[in-house]
Amino acid sequence: MSAAANGRTAPLTRQGVQISARGFSWQHAERARPAIAGLDVHIPAGQKVLLLGPSGAGKSTLLHALAGVLEVDEEAGPRGQLLVGGQDAFARSFPVGLMQQDPETQVVQSRVGDDVAFGAENLGVEPQEIRARIPQALQAVGLGALGYEHRTQELSGGQKQRLALAGILAMRPGLMLLDEPTANIDPQSIPPLRDAVIDAVESTGATLIVVEHRLEAWARHVDRVLVLAPGGGIAHDLHPDALVSDEELRAELARAGVWIPGYVPQTSPVPQASGAPMLHAEQLVCARGGQVVRTAPASFEVTAGSALVIRGENGAGKSTLALTLGGLLEPVSGQFAASGQLADGLLPSPFSWKAGALVARIGSVFQEPEHQFVTQTVREELAFAPLRAKRGAAEELKYDARQVEARVQELLVRLGLQDLAEANPFTLSGGEKRRLSVATVLAASPDVLILDEPTFGQDANTWRELAQLLIEQLAGSTAIIAVTHDEHFAAALGAHELVLAPAQAASGRPSSAPMLDAPVGDSWLAKINPLAKFGAIAGATLPLISTVDWVSAAVVIAATLLMLPLAGLGIGAFFRRGWPLLVAGVLAAWGIALVGQDSGRVLLDLGIFDITEGSVAGGIATGLRALAMAVPMVLLLSTTNPSDLGGALSQQLKVPHRFVLGALAGMRLLGLMVEEFTTLTLARRARGIGNLGTVRQRVGAKLGQLLALLVQAIRRAGRLATTMEAKGFGTGQRTWIRTATFTRRDGAVLAAGILLGAAAITAAIWAGTYNLIW
Amino acid sequence: MSTSRTTQRSTWRVVDIVIASVIAVASGVVFWAWSASYGLFSLAFTAFPPGTALLTGLWLFPAVLGALIIRKPGAALFCEVLAAVVEALLGTHWGMPVLISGLVQGLGAELVFALFRYRKWNLPVALLAGLGSGLFAGLSEAYVVGSVAEYTEAMKLFHVGATAFSGLVVAGLLSWWITRALARTGALSNLASRRAHLEPAFAVRK
Repeated sequence: MSAAANGRTAPLTRQGVQISARGFSWQHAERARPAIAGLDVHIPAGQKVLLLGPSGAGKSTLLHALAGVLEVDEEAGPRGQLLVGGQDAFARSFPVGLMQQDPETQVVQSRVGDDVAFGAENLGVEPQEIRARIPQALQAVGLGALGYEHRTQELSGGQKQRLALAGILAMRPGLMLLDEPTANIDPQSIPPLRDAVIDAVESTGATLIVVEHRLEAWARHVDRVLVLAPGGGIAHDLHPDALVSDEELRAELARAGVWIPGYVPQTSPVPQASGAPMLHAEQLVCARGGQVVRTAPASFEVTAGSALVIRGENGAGKSTLALTLGGLLEPVSGQFAASGQLADGLLPSPFSWKAGALVARIGSVFQEPEHQFVTQTVREELAFAPLRAKRGAAEELKYDARQVEARVQELLVRLGLQDLAEANPFTLSGGEKRRLSVATVLAASPDVLILDEPTFGQDANTWRELAQLLIEQLAGSTAIIAVTHDEHFAAALGAHELVLAPAQAASGRPSSAPMLDAPVGDSWLAKINPLAKFGAIAGATLPLISTVDWVSAAVVIAATLLMLPLAGLGIGAFFRRGWPLLVAGVLAAWGIALVGQDSGRVLLDLGIFDITEGSVAGGIATGLRALAMAVPMVLLLSTTNPSDLGGALSQQLKVPHRFVLGALAGMRLLGLMVEEFTTLTLARRARGIGNLGTVRQRVGAKLGQLLALLVQAIRRAGRLATTMEAKGFGTGQRTWIRTATFTRRDGAVLAAGILLGAAAITAAIWAGTYNLIW
Repeated sequence: MSTSRTTQRSTWRVVDIVIASVIAVASGVVFWAWSASYGLFSLAFTAFPPGTALLTGLWLFPAVLGALIIRKPGAALFCEVLAAVVEALLGTHWGMPVLISGLVQGLGAELVFALFRYRKWNLPVALLAGLGSGLFAGLSEAYVVGSVAEYTEAMKLFHVGATAFSGLVVAGLLSWWITRALARTGALSNLASRRAHLEPAFAVRK
């Protein structure tokens, strides 16, 4: 646990560490060739290095090796030597900071203060020391204005990356590793993030290694450029100026898809077109289902063979507008209509079209290609939409099977995916996935094509292929609408521009999704130890298991209602939260009344079943009992932050913190997953999967959606696990900045719960309704 | 520390813990998304409420799925309990008893995997685990926790049988199928189940 020892004695500013590799290789499990082979390099302490190379050259693998998060097993392992600060990198003797692409998985905890502290806690740094580091770190990354209790889920992508950086700074690492930190954030957020990184390494003296496709942002701020060779080793070791002056090098890097400063890939000229109108919008206002945030009114026309680019600030609702134009969301107000030519016999509102009719007319390409994959092979994926495309008012099939086969073949060749025809779409590389997701939509040859941030995170080669493909579509008089920040892309398509004004309600990303970390307010019960509350509820409700009677149940329900003010809940708020319980209670009561044990007078004769006085009494008792066991939980849930519950479980009940914090980290992704589930529903309509069909088709469609959700969730979890490991998680004793305490008041709450349980049972025995169920 | 980085078959790595958690949370999302349709489905059983037991399997799949994917002791229990916690935290269903159910259901599946000493993860074992989970759920509802304590004896037996059957089909078969489909996408590449789609359905693993 040398890392822990280091953390405790760390000075406020730490010297950088040097790195040296001698004949270093890394072999991944189940790969034919090593990811890195025979690497020899020395990086002195405090140097700022930009690491480049074609995809597959092992850049990420090298960063992960330096961070000590690569896993050695029977099949995977290193050869040669890789030293960080003179020690074996895999021994992790020094804290190393690692930041990856996906902002969602760089944040671990649900509250800003906790997240900054996470890494330092794992290193065993004294809580007092960590508390001093938090404001410094937040200040350094420009998030000083955020409160510690601010929910991390509400931050934008760029802010999340900066928060992750703050967490890394609080660990006082001698080495910072950044793996495409700006690939998934919007261009305006890149300079502030870059500046925060550079300021931090310059003031702490830490060594920096950045892997990045887009060099413009970094080239002038680093000391050295290393280019990895695909076969292994270092191809070039240069001063950053060479990226501007050395034409041969520039050409080589451009071929490898690297975005060198001042380089725009060549594309064909766009044909001049003045085609027929396709879509017309007048004061169109859009919103995601059930949300209050609405886009500013927009008016425009889209014509065949021309491109329209939608721009606007973050949170303006550009994606929402694109989904509406794609016939996936219903407009809130204003006019939005397809021309007679596009509608081809159907009503003018695209939202009213069935999925099969929609894919033949308007195609939508989502930002995340994986959201759109619905089959197991590339070939099936391409055939999917054309097989379902319908034309005309009579909705006859647009293509017969032979035509579909021909189209699939043509697209496979056009995209250079012939060799991958039988591959699973999820296993393709990032660029291949992007091309495939566009092609699956083009396959049904829609007259209008809508794309959401198609060039986000793409290397220069994929960018050029994509632009070229779309220019061909324009020539074939398809209309293109793209949401993009990318000016070069807009210029390549010769696009008109629509700037969407900021949305009308609050900023950020308000969501109708359920939250696990909802604000708990400052009611009396919110200050009670979560375990005490939990114990009290167990004490009050578990005795009810022994009996089915209405008296004991009624006592517990009444007591719960009386305690609502302690939880800061009004009766209205309580019912809004608890109504499903009522429904469940009624349902349980009805079930027993129908098939429960009969006795007494028959009230209703339903053939096989009777409803009798006895079964009705049993039903009422069962329903009340179900309610009584459930409602007290509302008191706990509405006054407890899961993170505090986790802290108490781990500190006071000694539940292993790896499992508690791992579970909490997973739970933080809940809101994201709900959002993703909703997006998947829309993406599947965009692929031609309707809400109708046989039971078999519908079950199949739902299973496919579940599978897609799990794929996303598992990938995210893998990245999140890497983040947590890089922050020293799970290696030894950790400290906690929030100490769970158990006061006399907590004891009183626990005792009250147990007393209530006893009182309920006593009351039932006294009233003579108690009946033991066993 | 370098020794701790070599995996042992039964110890949980950080990635196992986080992926298991996320499977449980994703299952919680599925519960949440389907709770509305569950209401509709159960209305279909108004004429014969014990039939709703046939839908219970849907609440059991995290146990089997988690174990088939993570392949570590305790995975079934961990995933099912955490999914129940998520469900309780979302506040849509039954409250405290949901935690007890989670524990009981997870235990039913866990015992089956333990019986095979955490070495077999094929279709028959998955089906048995689903059955075990359903059986435990049904028995506890009918005889221990007593949510259907007032049923007649015949109805209780029906309830147990229907829950077990539902566990076998939905939790067992469905989880096995999903695990293979996931492995095919490459999403399980850093887990013990990464080759699940290549394993025979019935034979023993290696």
